[in-house]
Amino acid sequence: MTPPVTPLIRVRALGHTYLRGTPLEVRSLHDVDVDVCAGDVVGIVGPTGSGKSTLLQHLNGLLRPQDGEVWVNGVPLSDPAVDMRAIRQRVGLLFQSPEDQLFERYAGDDVAFGPRNLGLPAEQVRDRVRKALDDVGLPFAYKDRLIAELSEGQRRRLALAGVLAMEPQVLVLDEPTAGLDPQGRRGLLAVLSDWCAGDGRAIVLASHNMEDVTAVCTHVHVLVEGTVVLRGSPREVFCNADLLARYGLAIPAATEAMHVLRGRGYPVSTTVLFAAEAAREIEGLFGGRVI
Amino acid sequence: MAGLSEFELLGRVTIGQYLPTGSRVHHLDPRVKLVMVVLMITAVVVSHSLVGLALLLAAVVSGLLSARIPLRFALAGLRPMLPFLLLLALLQVVAIPQYGAGATVIWRWSILTVTDRSVLAGVLLIARFTVMVLGISLFSFSTTTTELTHGVEHLLRPLQALGVPAHEFALVVNIAIRFLPILAEEAERLMKAQASRGADFGRGQRNFITRTRRLLPLLVPLFLVSLQRAEELIEAMEARSYLGGKGRTHLIHLQARLSDYVALASVAGVAALVIRLSLTNADGMVWRWLTEHLL
Repeated sequence: MTPPVTPLIRVRALGHTYLRGTPLEVRSLHDVDVDVCAGDVVGIVGPTGSGKSTLLQHLNGLLRPQDGEVWVNGVPLSDPAVDMRAIRQRVGLLFQSPEDQLFERYAGDDVAFGPRNLGLPAEQVRDRVRKALDDVGLPFAYKDRLIAELSEGQRRRLALAGVLAMEPQVLVLDEPTAGLDPQGRRGLLAVLSDWCAGDGRAIVLASHNMEDVTAVCTHVHVLVEGTVVLRGSPREVFCNADLLARYGLAIPAATEAMHVLRGRGYPVSTTVLFAAEAAREIEGLFGGRVI
Repeated sequence: MAGLSEFELLGRVTIGQYLPTGSRVHHLDPRVKLVMVVLMITAVVVSHSLVGLALLLAAVVSGLLSARIPLRFALAGLRPMLPFLLLLALLQVVAIPQYGAGATVIWRWSILTVTDRSVLAGVLLIARFTVMVLGISLFSFSTTTTELTHGVEHLLRPLQALGVPAHEFALVVNIAIRFLPILAEEAERLMKAQASRGADFGRGQRNFITRTRRLLPLLVPLFLVSLQRAEELIEAMEARSYLGGKGRTHLIHLQARLSDYVALASVAGVAALVIRLSLTNADGMVWRWLTEHLL
């Protein structure tokens, strides 16, 4: 029995309504609970407009809780006296298509933006840039490259480095792999897994891509119309193929294949997530016979 | 500012939004509404009379009511402009020597002079802005951008003979309005992204150059994104064989109805009355009547 851990981020009964008090108000979140502990990779999945981005923006205080509460390291974010810059340093957030936010000419300057904002001396800024570039798998020499000359995938890594250079404890990402080619996608996911292996770190990511979620997440929350309708490990969540389909969500291709086989009467397990596991199930059907 | 996020740009700007309540005002012909707005603005600019402006205010408020738009929502559009307005009014009152002859000096301190005329000028300024903002808000709350474009294009058509590119002009207006909320959203997203990297957008900084420099992480990407969007828009339009206004037919044919003529006539009546009032000394007469009967 492991002792109970205090979560890095705790979200309780969180609610948010856009343009509250106007005729255009839209309820975006309602009664959402999420815990993020060290070592967790929490996946938030849900259809477009389900409130994923709104939830993510609460995690580093870009939005203040209207209802309910968000604690970061035990500090309640609804408290007006909270030092938001300290919170945003602890919880780094990377928006969708983060390459849009790059603004410097040279790659290194853009990564250094965050550490410079922290008021660090030049030597430490340099160290952080070196480390952040290393974390995302870009050589340190890339600091002198023109951003305009980098590829799409490299620019996304650079934007990630810009957040990692803040040395956050929790990394929050909105659709981190959207628009990347398969190689870029795998590379980025590997970067994220490696980073999260560090001591006392955690990741929260919102994604449409179920393969991403199964590849890296330890916990999954399914958000539909602003409320969490399903939560658990990826295996637990993706068992509910029918429920997810009703909400317009996909399940990993390997899992779906097993559901189809099951539907046709084959005795396979539907708790598989990966292609290799699915292959093993199918091998089982043939009794291990090789043609 | 309670409840408003420090990054929310759209929440404060209500002017430019469309509020579909489906009222009679919404169904008016956009050409008629455009003419009504022009008439109202003319009357506001021409009028020197508080009585006239009060009349216009009443007309705009009754328009808002019949469009079923909550007054609080319409007034919210004024709020962000209020500090500037008050500053302008203050300058008008103390710093500009108003119409030397015939004015009664109320207060004097070194080069600052306040006369009854300058106080009136300050009040008029606030009243004018209020009426204008509410009137334009009413128009935007009740008119979609498509209707606006069609209205502008139709109204400018007679000028085509003089070489005015009516269609292109209307298109530019439409695109500008269409992209305003998108740019605001983009700016909000970028501000949040940079704030996540510890950016601070000039709060507590007095030095103008430092403040501007701090906006660079916002402005540079915003320009890049806008140019990118413009290019995508051009491609999307050309992909659908857009060649400009020549030979283009319309999906919507505007047809003015009786209600349109009634609305236009009543607004024209109010505008004419207001302009007439500012020619006579209506304020003086009302003032005299009030002082005689009430004091």
